[in-house]
Amino acid sequence: MALSDARQGAGWQARLELGFSRHGTRTVLTHRLHRGPLMIQRPFYPEGEGCCHVYLLHPPGGVVGGDSLELQVDVEAGARALITVPAAGKFYRSGGAEASQEQHIRVADGAVMEWLPQETIVFDGARLDSLTRVELEAEASFIGWEITCMGRPASGALFHSGSMRQRFELWREGRPLLLDRGHWQGTGKEMQAQWGLSGQPMLGTMMVTGRFDEELDAMREALQAWPGHFALSQLPEVLVCRYLGADAYQARAGFTEIWRRLRPLISGHEVCEPRIWNT
Amino acid sequence: MADTNITTINTGAQPALWRLLQLVSPNLPIGAFAYSQGLEQAVDSGRVTDEAATYEWLSGVLSHSFASLEIPLLSHCYRAWQLGDESSVSYWNDFLLASRETAELHEEERLLGINLARLLADLGIDEARPWSQQSQTTLINMFALAAVKWQIPMAQAAQGLVWSWLENQIAAAIKLVPLGQTAGQRLYMQLTPDLEQAVNQGLAIEDEADIGQSAFGVALASSWHETQYSRLFRS
Repeated sequence: MALSDARQGAGWQARLELGFSRHGTRTVLTHRLHRGPLMIQRPFYPEGEGCCHVYLLHPPGGVVGGDSLELQVDVEAGARALITVPAAGKFYRSGGAEASQEQHIRVADGAVMEWLPQETIVFDGARLDSLTRVELEAEASFIGWEITCMGRPASGALFHSGSMRQRFELWREGRPLLLDRGHWQGTGKEMQAQWGLSGQPMLGTMMVTGRFDEELDAMREALQAWPGHFALSQLPEVLVCRYLGADAYQARAGFTEIWRRLRPLISGHEVCEPRIWNT
Repeated sequence: MADTNITTINTGAQPALWRLLQLVSPNLPIGAFAYSQGLEQAVDSGRVTDEAATYEWLSGVLSHSFASLEIPLLSHCYRAWQLGDESSVSYWNDFLLASRETAELHEEERLLGINLARLLADLGIDEARPWSQQSQTTLINMFALAAVKWQIPMAQAAQGLVWSWLENQIAAAIKLVPLGQTAGQRLYMQLTPDLEQAVNQGLAIEDEADIGQSAFGVALASSWHETQYSRLFRS
């Protein structure tokens, strides 16, 4: 169903579809369709033709209640795609309506998808429902993270009201591998409690498909550069790394540390950090 | 004394209640006592230091995990077993395992699930046998199966599940924090409204999108427990 039909007139209804295919040794963006203000710059190849890098753009620069952003990505067999964004996503205070953000990512056999967005900032009073659902074929690989900032701590604007519902899910051949879900309410105990966010405004989750038992110790040691902020756990088919703190650069630095160590084991290629992160 | 009238009070036959008490007893030989679910790390790191902090921690797990994950999934498994719908049973079983977001919590759910499946098979519940022979079995799924086979009503099964969890957690807290036995008993009393609320909220959840836990600090504690220097518990 087209989302614009369901919520017409309520706000921006943006949808973007991207399809990556492998042609010989090259990954090519073979499908691109956009409706509303969600688009990409020209794909580029900073590390050679095997991996296609794409920057997602959202020209309005922020999302308000009633808006919806929908992204569909298909990475076909053997292709390698990396998606990031040039700036943090911003979700503004809502008068009542919920904003929604949905990412559906399908990755085929032998393909590698890297989903490396910058942080999503949820302003005080915002109401956001966010879903990232990654569906993998048997031999597909995924490296991805999501970083959420509740409120704008740098400006002293804490998240006192509003709500954020977040789902970040990995599925393989129709079975759930890891379902990471959270429901954060500004007025809820979860914001301050030790079993919740301990008063920290920023949380992040990174997922990497595969088992990396040999690398665990070294990765944990590297993350000790930021003691008490990162936690790593190896599930049977997914490595999961979590961040809790107050600094988006720190979150990305830790996750990049994991990415740097595991990417060569997954795709045989060293990391190539998007230059846009440094601007 | 010889002339005292002895009145027999007939409680009526309540086989389901006896089976529920058996299922939630710490004597149930599945090994649940060996797990603290991150509480040991929370104590070790100084985040849970006394009775009040123990209450906060357990109350949070009830409101932000049991109410939105375990109870709704128990309910889905229960209904699937009632209908004999094997593919739904598998789906919700897998859904729960995929919601166990650290290695230790995942392993705990799986090992206790297999242990309970074996026990139920030995007690004559044939449906448990295949689950005792595969590696992806969850405790909650087997708890639901036992409840359905023993005709324990859904709401009581949910109360039993959350009670058996609380028994383990309070026993762990008494050892770890440490707390006195009376403090442990006070926690049962103090947490009663939390138990009620978790069960009622959990049973009201229908939408799959609403199922999941939001106890981020518990996930962190559980991850850090994997490398904790000295440990009594397996999670």
